[in-house]
Amino acid sequence: MLFIVLTMIYPIFANLRMSVYDVNVGTFLSDTAPFVGLGNYIKVLRDSAFQKAFLLSLIFTVGSLVFQFTIGFALALLFNRSFPGNQILRALMLLGWMLPTVVSGSVFRWMFDGGNGIINYALQSLGLMSSPRFWLIEPQTALLATIIANIWVGVPFNMILLLPGLQSIPRSLYEAASIDGASSRQSFRYITLPLMRPVALSVLLLGIIYTFKVFDLIYVMTRGGPVDATTVLPIYVYQLSFNFFRFGEGAAAAILLLAPLSLAAIGYLWFSRREDVMA
Amino acid sequence: MSDANGAALDTQMAKYMEAHPDIKIERTYIPFADLKQKLLQGAAAGQLPDVVLIDNPDHSSFAALGILADLTDVVKAWGQESNYFAGPWASTVFQGRNFGIPDNSNCLVNWYNKTFTEAAGVQPPTNWEELKETAATLTQGERYGFAVSAVKSEEGTFQWLPFLWMTGEDLATLDSEGGRAALQLWVDLVNDGYMSRGILNWTQGDVKGQFVNGLAAMMVNGPWQIPVIKEEAPDLSWDVATLPAQKQGASILGGENTAIIKGSAHIEAAWRLLTWRQEPENLKAYLLQAGKLPSNAAMAQDVAWTGDPVLNVFIEQLKVAKPRNYGPNYPEISNAIQEMLQAAISGQKTVDAAVAEAQAKITPLLPA
Repeated sequence: MLFIVLTMIYPIFANLRMSVYDVNVGTFLSDTAPFVGLGNYIKVLRDSAFQKAFLLSLIFTVGSLVFQFTIGFALALLFNRSFPGNQILRALMLLGWMLPTVVSGSVFRWMFDGGNGIINYALQSLGLMSSPRFWLIEPQTALLATIIANIWVGVPFNMILLLPGLQSIPRSLYEAASIDGASSRQSFRYITLPLMRPVALSVLLLGIIYTFKVFDLIYVMTRGGPVDATTVLPIYVYQLSFNFFRFGEGAAAAILLLAPLSLAAIGYLWFSRREDVMA
Repeated sequence: MSDANGAALDTQMAKYMEAHPDIKIERTYIPFADLKQKLLQGAAAGQLPDVVLIDNPDHSSFAALGILADLTDVVKAWGQESNYFAGPWASTVFQGRNFGIPDNSNCLVNWYNKTFTEAAGVQPPTNWEELKETAATLTQGERYGFAVSAVKSEEGTFQWLPFLWMTGEDLATLDSEGGRAALQLWVDLVNDGYMSRGILNWTQGDVKGQFVNGLAAMMVNGPWQIPVIKEEAPDLSWDVATLPAQKQGASILGGENTAIIKGSAHIEAAWRLLTWRQEPENLKAYLLQAGKLPSNAAMAQDVAWTGDPVLNVFIEQLKVAKPRNYGPNYPEISNAIQEMLQAAISGQKTVDAAVAEAQAKITPLLPA
């Protein structure tokens, strides 16, 4: 309990407090920052950079989750069957998730490089692209590249959480269905999907929380650039506080970042409790 | 901080402690990217060291934050101001008060691959016209003629500002013929294919990588790359020249200053350490071991630097190197420059629009 108070409640409280004072370079140490009420929040909400960052965060989260989840689900279905090498392959899959994001970010940064990146090489060799593309430098593709990298990072996470859900579906259900003449597609539609719903929703809610706050992967790949094409909310917050020393506004933006995450967390808790009651 | 740098500091500290047995120095290394954050956290928690060695463009921000001790009286009594280059010295002054003293300097010069220039029969460019011609001549196949860093960080601003200053303009007059020409130069070099679009994502370390691998025939970079390149590519044939000038020659001043933390219990001892480090014999040994340039004008005349053909170019360039002395809002100003570079070079905005927008953001941030 003390641990939670010291490491979580206190920082959040201190951050809330800072968000209603005009804390900046001049007033950071002197403790003379004037109380500005919701002034910082209004400033941040009106800042077009914040609005853009929020929108980019939404695109990043939705784009990442749709593919992470679909691919993760497909892989979970695959690994739910028994085949030689299943265990080893599953362990290998996890590697991408366990790798420090700084490492995977750097690797993706060079893979997407316009001059000597392997992605350009592959696409050109296959005849899919005629001239090299500077993925991380063009605003249209920089966000796409970071989403692709994040999908790669998140797929194993989705797969490993969905797999136990699949394994907990009793085999007898499928056997009964096949005796009744159900095709494998029908089994999937009427047995797998409905029974996976609670697990899937939990995974998606956790996914929202994890994806909305991704910072390191994007920072390593683009530093929020070109210009501000990949400046998602966490990067925006970091810039306000640690580049511009506008601590009050940074704190307000951090609270605004926390709000949707808290909603997702509450949704997750409410949902898992309801499942417990039903089970 | 390179290994050479850390070793040089340790050697120096050990020597000092031997001569002053009552003093114990503990050195903590903080990676460059984390320094600001760590100092701010330390300041908030009241846990800072007595002495700090900090990057000179951040000096006024830290002074404005109230982290650094006002040393005006002891600095005046010390009376060494006239021995230092004006640029480094100015970076230690905030609102007319002294908040530290210069320690070491660096600046950017033009590096060129001698194998390529000799094969093409060209000399390093001395002005922008020659720069475009030489870059064109040296561009061949996969190799680009010229390379800079325009990454979205302080490094991008650091590399571009000299080109602005060469036109005689400064940030207050960015939206001018000169300011537009300086941005246009980089845009043209990229659009004409003499410089890779990759510069938008290259740090100065990446630029060095392109140069070492023969993918860039010339590059803009600093003296800290000398020991790195000698080690990575001992067979590479290279030399340096001052940056090509336009209306005037210019480069940018990098480097570090020492300062004392406000409220330190050992201000006097700390000041004795700072001045001891600046005594010629101590300073020279440290700078040479660390691969750094002096901020001290007298020391820059020492044959250890002027007698070395490469280091002498850096010393010459240092004479026209300007500090980024733009007050405590500098980080935000720098961000506006980075966005301007990226928008114009990637083609999202015209040069005129990018410069005008940057000017609108920068003007209210400049010190009055």
